[in-house]
Amino acid sequence: MPKKVRMVAKIITENCTGCRLCEQVCPTVAIGMRPRREDEPGKSRNIAELDSAACYNAQGCVELCADDAIEMVELEEPFEVGFGIQDKVDTDEVKALCKKSGFSPIMRICVCTDTNAGDIAAAVIGGADTPEAVSLATGVRTGCQELCLQPILRILAKAGHEDMERNPKTGFQWYGESAVLWDHLDAKGEFPEEILEHYPNFPLETERADMGKLSKRSRK
Amino acid sequence: MNIAAPIMDDLRPPPFHETWNHRKPAEVVKKRAADLPDMTALSVRAVMPDLPETIWAEDPLLGPTNVDEVRRHAKAQAEAMDWSKIEKGRMVNIIANPHGFQLCGEAYVTMLEVIAEHVRTTREARVRVRIAESMGHIENPDWVKIYNLEERFGDVTECPQIGPGKKVDTRLGDMYVLKKLFDAPYFIHTHVTEMREGYLHRMMDRLFKPFGMSYARLESRSAYHFGFGPRTGQIVSREIFESPDIQDRYVGTMVLDTTSEGVVGVHGNNDLYALDRSLAAGIMTNYGAVMRILGEIDDCVVIFDDHGCSVYTYAGGIAFDNMLCADVDFLDLDNLSVLAPEIHDRSDPGLTMGKNNAIKSIVINYMAGGVPQPFVWKNFPIHIVGETVKKWLYNDPTNYHISDAKPQVWSSLDEAVAAACKAGNTKNVIAFDRTPGAFRVSRPLAEHLMKRARAVRKQVEEELLPKWLRQRGLA
Repeated sequence: MPKKVRMVAKIITENCTGCRLCEQVCPTVAIGMRPRREDEPGKSRNIAELDSAACYNAQGCVELCADDAIEMVELEEPFEVGFGIQDKVDTDEVKALCKKSGFSPIMRICVCTDTNAGDIAAAVIGGADTPEAVSLATGVRTGCQELCLQPILRILAKAGHEDMERNPKTGFQWYGESAVLWDHLDAKGEFPEEILEHYPNFPLETERADMGKLSKRSRK
Repeated sequence: MNIAAPIMDDLRPPPFHETWNHRKPAEVVKKRAADLPDMTALSVRAVMPDLPETIWAEDPLLGPTNVDEVRRHAKAQAEAMDWSKIEKGRMVNIIANPHGFQLCGEAYVTMLEVIAEHVRTTREARVRVRIAESMGHIENPDWVKIYNLEERFGDVTECPQIGPGKKVDTRLGDMYVLKKLFDAPYFIHTHVTEMREGYLHRMMDRLFKPFGMSYARLESRSAYHFGFGPRTGQIVSREIFESPDIQDRYVGTMVLDTTSEGVVGVHGNNDLYALDRSLAAGIMTNYGAVMRILGEIDDCVVIFDDHGCSVYTYAGGIAFDNMLCADVDFLDLDNLSVLAPEIHDRSDPGLTMGKNNAIKSIVINYMAGGVPQPFVWKNFPIHIVGETVKKWLYNDPTNYHISDAKPQVWSSLDEAVAAACKAGNTKNVIAFDRTPGAFRVSRPLAEHLMKRARAVRKQVEEELLPKWLRQRGLA
């Protein structure tokens, strides 16, 4: 499902202090900085500038701006992003990258935009080489931002982009992959004793078996 | 005070606040669900007569509204804890969470004040408050202003999960936390015991949960959901808590122990493991029947009439997630209980949950956005009261797809509820309006719940609770 973008950010130039927080947090890097013109009120030398076509209504900038320098405005004509992305690349390649990453292609990764692992893999195969580029292609990470990052980083890494750089370099759109439990299964598909002993009350073995059942059900 | 009466119509839902992003729902919502004809307030105590007495409640019908007892309990706990780790003159972050303000109001602020005062006076430390914000922050009430936190504490900072982070080393590998929460030499963890997101923490290490959720950066928060199972996500919380960097800074924990009626105790301990285990059985005892009775509803219309987004709206002191997932007992660790109604299979009912067929329609009088709810919009007919609320929902970055549900928009709450009841062929209505200590329900539903209460209590006491405790090594 594509995301329908109904609002975009608007920079209130007189309030902007050029602190760059908005630029550093925007999942699609829709905000950059430019010199303040002489006729523009305000004190800082640089101010934020929006590429409205790349603004997907994530509102992280609004949340972090301490100067009330960003407001959201409704679009007269909403636009959609992420439509038909899997139609543009080879299906087998998508399946292979998803498998390598440990996700079913139909596994929903971004609940906000209904983006699944296949969509993300398709964006990466189509040329997206950072989470920002994946977001621009699919809309993923432009809702709550709290659920979807780990699988995106994993799929990018498995496609050979583990050394990608943040944009901007000081940005905190993402850091790196977080550790996951399933990576600790051994060659036999079992958890090491150290983990089992440390978490005696957690039903680790049952969890592994039930997640396998669920995975089979999803594939059906 | 008459807390044994089954019907307590004098109980009112808390008023709406202006939100962080300057919305004023009080000016938009013309009528609360509590004011619909035939709605009543069924006391939670009528369902669970053995609830402990409150030491603080939001409404005088439920207990004392002054904070004297909370202050006294918190002071006693603070005096019993060991603060010697804190060196003179150093900085201490007291980490707070928005749910504490939302559900426990002045009682929660009082607990924070007692901690701050104690640490300042006994350790000559500097203190600041860091609020761990997560989903829906900008659509929530602005707690900093509502409780004058800057005046009362001085340095107060809200820390959204999209903010700067830092890496911590754990037994399983790298994990990420919010930098501002842990940017002082020491921190104190605070919490409330209420039963939101039980389907995530599963009452496994419940008091550790913020370390894997609101204290975690997006990377590890995401890994909680995508790199672990529903009964093992809490390992993220434990791993982060046990990481050397966090342990170096950790001093102690203080929590408000709650029931559906309010606060029943204040507990502090330097040992979070001991504190968690000492409170776990009580939490399941105090909330078990309240959660399970929602599964006794055969058909109903749900009204959202509160701050909070869908699963985070409250009725009877518990969040809507408990009703949405009432088709499965997620406290039973035999059930995987993944929130995935789209792949539910009756032949293995414990595997997935989230399609409670008793819910015939949902009426949105007001709710905040910020938390994706496609599993609600896709599974239930939606009715919205008023164009402004509709516009707020459609513009929500996380719920733009509500438009795909083609919700009907009504000019009044009465019309919306009447249409929803007619379409669902039901007279049962339950409003999630955060009325403390009572379920705001239609009279036929109140009568039904009263009839079922004894059997539910019996089932919880004799069958479910013993199993829950046994599974967690607490029996």
